[in-house]
Amino acid sequence: MRKKSFAPVFFVGPHLVLFLIFILIPTIYGIYASFTKWNLMNDPQWIGVANYKTILFDTTSTFHAQFFNGLTNTFIFVAISVPLLIVIPLLVAVSLEHRKVNLKGIIQAIIYIPGLISISAAALIWLLLFNKQLGIAGNIFHSQVAWPATQPYAWIIIFVITVWGGVGGNMIIYRASIAGVSKDLYEAAEMDGAGANRKFFSITLPSIRFPLIYTFVMTTAGAFNVFGQPLMMTDGGPRQTTHVLMMYIRQLAFGHGESIAGMASAMAVLLGMVILVISALQYYVMNRNANE
Amino acid sequence: MRKRGIIMMITVFILSIVLSACGSSSDSKTITFWTPLTGDDGAYMDQLVKEYNATNPEIQVKHVITADMYTKISTVLNSGKGVPDLAIIHADRVPGFVKQGVLEQIDSAIAGHPEIKEENYLPQAWATGNIDGTQYTVPLDIHSNTMYYNKDLLKQYDVEYFLDDDIVTIDEMLSLQGKLDEGDYVVNDALLGWVILAQIQNLGGAIEENGQPAVNTPVMKQAFEEVKRIADAGLMTPFGEDGYLMFQSGNVLFSTDGTWSSTAHAAVEGLNFGVTNIYSTTADKFTNRASSHLFAMLKNDKRSDEKEAGIGAFLEFIRQNSIEWAKAGQIVASKEVIESPDYSQYMQSFFTSNEKEVESLYIYTYEYYPYVAEAVDTYCADIVRGNVDLDETLQTMQKFVEDKIAESSKAEAN
Repeated sequence: MRKKSFAPVFFVGPHLVLFLIFILIPTIYGIYASFTKWNLMNDPQWIGVANYKTILFDTTSTFHAQFFNGLTNTFIFVAISVPLLIVIPLLVAVSLEHRKVNLKGIIQAIIYIPGLISISAAALIWLLLFNKQLGIAGNIFHSQVAWPATQPYAWIIIFVITVWGGVGGNMIIYRASIAGVSKDLYEAAEMDGAGANRKFFSITLPSIRFPLIYTFVMTTAGAFNVFGQPLMMTDGGPRQTTHVLMMYIRQLAFGHGESIAGMASAMAVLLGMVILVISALQYYVMNRNANE
Repeated sequence: MRKRGIIMMITVFILSIVLSACGSSSDSKTITFWTPLTGDDGAYMDQLVKEYNATNPEIQVKHVITADMYTKISTVLNSGKGVPDLAIIHADRVPGFVKQGVLEQIDSAIAGHPEIKEENYLPQAWATGNIDGTQYTVPLDIHSNTMYYNKDLLKQYDVEYFLDDDIVTIDEMLSLQGKLDEGDYVVNDALLGWVILAQIQNLGGAIEENGQPAVNTPVMKQAFEEVKRIADAGLMTPFGEDGYLMFQSGNVLFSTDGTWSSTAHAAVEGLNFGVTNIYSTTADKFTNRASSHLFAMLKNDKRSDEKEAGIGAFLEFIRQNSIEWAKAGQIVASKEVIESPDYSQYMQSFFTSNEKEVESLYIYTYEYYPYVAEAVDTYCADIVRGNVDLDETLQTMQKFVEDKIAESSKAEAN
């Protein structure tokens, strides 16, 4: 090996450059900005941990109230949407494996396509569906409620559109993984007299545990970054009970008037830390269980 | 080895093309013109720019519609690269931008065009770009909160007289209590925050007192209480319902949206509508809270004198020919246009039909108005619907604005 091969550099290089420019440097700068006062126009001014102190401990501050209200609402969204986005796609994927199900490709496409539709366009349609005067909610189901402005209906419509748009992605992953499970295992199980449930819990689930861990961690991280659905469906209402943290962060940094980007960055860093800790925990717990 | 060399060259070539596309073109023969005008507004502006370029000016204008323009402005100003030669900004941005030192004086561009002067524009549109005696902007339009009315419904309920003095008062609206068919409403809650800000003026209040934000004030409280009376009487479209659509479907007498909505309403078959002023707490005064699109030059050392002259020529063209802009539903700022006979065919000409109407178009110029407006917008619906305690929420709103000001002013002190 006289000469060094450059081939690996060519393969890794482009990704590395993009990662540096669009992810690593902005992340580091974002963390730096969280220790500053910055209006995006002037140079950031270093103020140490003042932003974090305000957000976490100054109970009279608007930013403290916004952060904890936003975080609480984000947790509510994560706690309810993530299980739905794991269990429903898994059930659909398993159902589609059944011998008697026809038109599998078409069903899969129908379930997958909503994920490709822009959230704004989808939200307009769903809002009309749930409209008391004009939609089916009022006219067919005789609902007398203004869904986006009444709890718990405001949350319900957010979850409906989230599940509608989010089921397809995970379903594809599960279907692909299930297809990779050896048929011999199922045949052997059948010979031993195992029923459908037994096969699902003893063969399917353990065989796809890595895709499961992956989707669980990624879906959770994605759910923490929720923004479009509450913005479009309820605009954070009623009484800011669906106002998630990303909406506050965006309003502070890019909202009305002068930007308050330092404070927004601090909130974003805190959210990032929450996601990091929870993802690591999930990965650790699931991986440990899987190895037992 | 040779193969590797070729691959390397191809890579460098592709990268250089890709990266050069990221850079800004410093074309000295083109005025780069950024606007936040999306949708139909952008198309009308495109048409205006096209008409200007068809006159074969020395320097052509290139219109770039920039969604999220204010974020991009901060990016290009920070890097100093790709700063547009000309931009359209909103009135409420001017005080902040001037304080941050990111706007050029407009005088150098308009020096060769004596007709671009205060007398030839709607006064408040011109004045909003004047900070401490220096002119930073030239106005394109005023876009205002307005109240559309459903002619058929007014006739049906025999209340056409509401419009006689051009002021529909809250008391007049309340007189319809108990007289409406089921499913009909007097007014919707579109742009409710702007309606509240109009009542502040009608009640003789202000959003700034001695340089401090004034949100938790008796006048603000009264403004909310007055508007709340309409909701309490069941005359406002229900909370959470799309009042704008309900007006278009013919169930609402009045809709408090914007001048720009007239084109959308006109497209609704069977909707027989007209336009008047936003309802008022008093029969003595009416206010339509407004904003303005303004031409401005962001700080850019590389902008040549020739380009500035080109910008002046373009602004003069707009002053004379912006009747196209009236199609977008906006109140054109140039007096030459609004005094032309063609302009009267547009619905929004109502707001320039006499002195009193022109005066009613109120643009807030307080430096921290955007924060006040954000506070009002965030909380107004819940206050008017009685979902929250008014006094407590006014305190929260005051703190909301003060906290934001404290943060931003510390950043400025830098």
